[in-house]
Amino acid sequence: MRQYFLLQFRLLNRHIRDFGLHPMAGWLMGAVLFVGLSFFIFHKTEYAVYAYLLAAFSLLAKLSEKGRNEFLRGCFPDRQYYKIRLLENVFVALPFLIFLLAKWHVMEAIGLGFAATALAFFKMGMGGSFTLPTPFGKRPFEFLMGFRKTYYLHLFAYFIAIMALCVLNFNLGIFALLLVFLICMTYYSDMESGYYVWIHAQQPQAFLRNKIKAAIVYASILSLPLAAVLSFVFYEYVHIILAVILLGYIYLTTVVLAKYAAYPQGMGLPQSLLLAFSLALPPMLLVTIPYFYKKSVKHLEFVLE
Amino acid sequence: MITIEHLSKSYGTKQVLHDVSLALSTGRVHGIVGENGAGKTTLFKCIAGLEGYDGDIQSSLSPLKNYLGFLQTDPFFFTKITGREYIQLLRNARNLPQTDIAAKNIFDLPLDQYAATYSTGMKKKLALTAVLLQENQVFILDEPFNGVDIHSNILITEIIKQLKALGKTIIISSHIFSTLSDTCDEISLLQQNQIRRTVPQSGFAALEEEMRAFTVGDALEKLDLR
Repeated sequence: MRQYFLLQFRLLNRHIRDFGLHPMAGWLMGAVLFVGLSFFIFHKTEYAVYAYLLAAFSLLAKLSEKGRNEFLRGCFPDRQYYKIRLLENVFVALPFLIFLLAKWHVMEAIGLGFAATALAFFKMGMGGSFTLPTPFGKRPFEFLMGFRKTYYLHLFAYFIAIMALCVLNFNLGIFALLLVFLICMTYYSDMESGYYVWIHAQQPQAFLRNKIKAAIVYASILSLPLAAVLSFVFYEYVHIILAVILLGYIYLTTVVLAKYAAYPQGMGLPQSLLLAFSLALPPMLLVTIPYFYKKSVKHLEFVLE
Repeated sequence: MITIEHLSKSYGTKQVLHDVSLALSTGRVHGIVGENGAGKTTLFKCIAGLEGYDGDIQSSLSPLKNYLGFLQTDPFFFTKITGREYIQLLRNARNLPQTDIAAKNIFDLPLDQYAATYSTGMKKKLALTAVLLQENQVFILDEPFNGVDIHSNILITEIIKQLKALGKTIIISSHIFSTLSDTCDEISLLQQNQIRRTVPQSGFAALEEEMRAFTVGDALEKLDLR
């Protein structure tokens, strides 16, 4: 078991090195970012606890993935397997738990602790031959696969939206709408293998145009029903809802371009920081969108032309 | 027609291909044989444009990659994509219109199941179906018979013959010599990173015997089976 955790530690360090950082610096930066971001969102919004729980559950759900757990179960005797899973979940949930307690969200902290323990005994994921239907089959790629992996997060976003309507809280509704876009943006976090870019009989410009078009159309399918209901109930704030949708489209475009600007290696630290700053300070997008576009075209030319 | 001239490829200091020259004629099936690590897959990737190289590859089709179907030895599938969606993805990549995929499902694959759950042979058949439905002019089939059941092997052989009859250019690698001798017009021997020679159908038997002698050598004596 000790060997397993040492191996996981080594793998994480490799990821940090691939990202362009010394492991020590990476761990330190991660801790500072976690604490900083936690203070930031709790300071900014009263609904931070929802986002916080969502982030913790997403990480726990990732550890509970069916394939991963079947592999672990095949490697370790039952007793050791459950010990590993329990410890993994505790490691992941602990930082969130400590911060929730520090902020006096005691009930939520207890709930998270309970979930972390319970999830150690469950495998998540579709078993057997069930295929989750999606409306994204015409252009089957990022949204189709992303939605199947994160459908429960969308259900959560819509649940928050329903809560917002029940208590007539516009800010909570906007938070749910932003959450939908945020989830969609994660669909562009992984770099596909060269083969899946190479198969396209398109110039880089057309390739990027199609990617952006699909991102906007499919994000609309997920976000517009929510936006429509919000607009109906909070009609006096329609302009804000429209602005958030527009911002969501721009963010999605930026993420698509940033992804292929780092093709084929994937985003390193400089690109990630540039993307993060651009998303935090939207006027910067006037510079970064053309920059990412030019870099994407240049990097795609080798494979597509 | 695809002409490869003086193609070389290295990864760092390790040379994988050295001065490879080949002429691949339209409407012919060209086999490539060689041991594991001889450089077959690298050669295919260079032809496809998936790897950079030194030397020259010329084709009457430009850019060649837009007319090329590449069946990889070990096709990669994303975790949450069904067989039908995979085929759709590859057709979309070539800007082809919607088609009745189920009607063309000649290997009887469970198209609405996630491709990642398929067996090795089913994955190969799915990747082949997708590449065929891309309506390519040139096909690179890297180990198309690997892991596939005997019935499908027969079907794949017939598909290759049909592609040839349609005037397509086909390049195949296989470790099963009989599958190549059944389908190929000529076979090139890739050995120690170089094309040693290319033989027509009349020389297949001699080539197979030569490969057998070279491969077996004194291996059985060394093994000293008891």
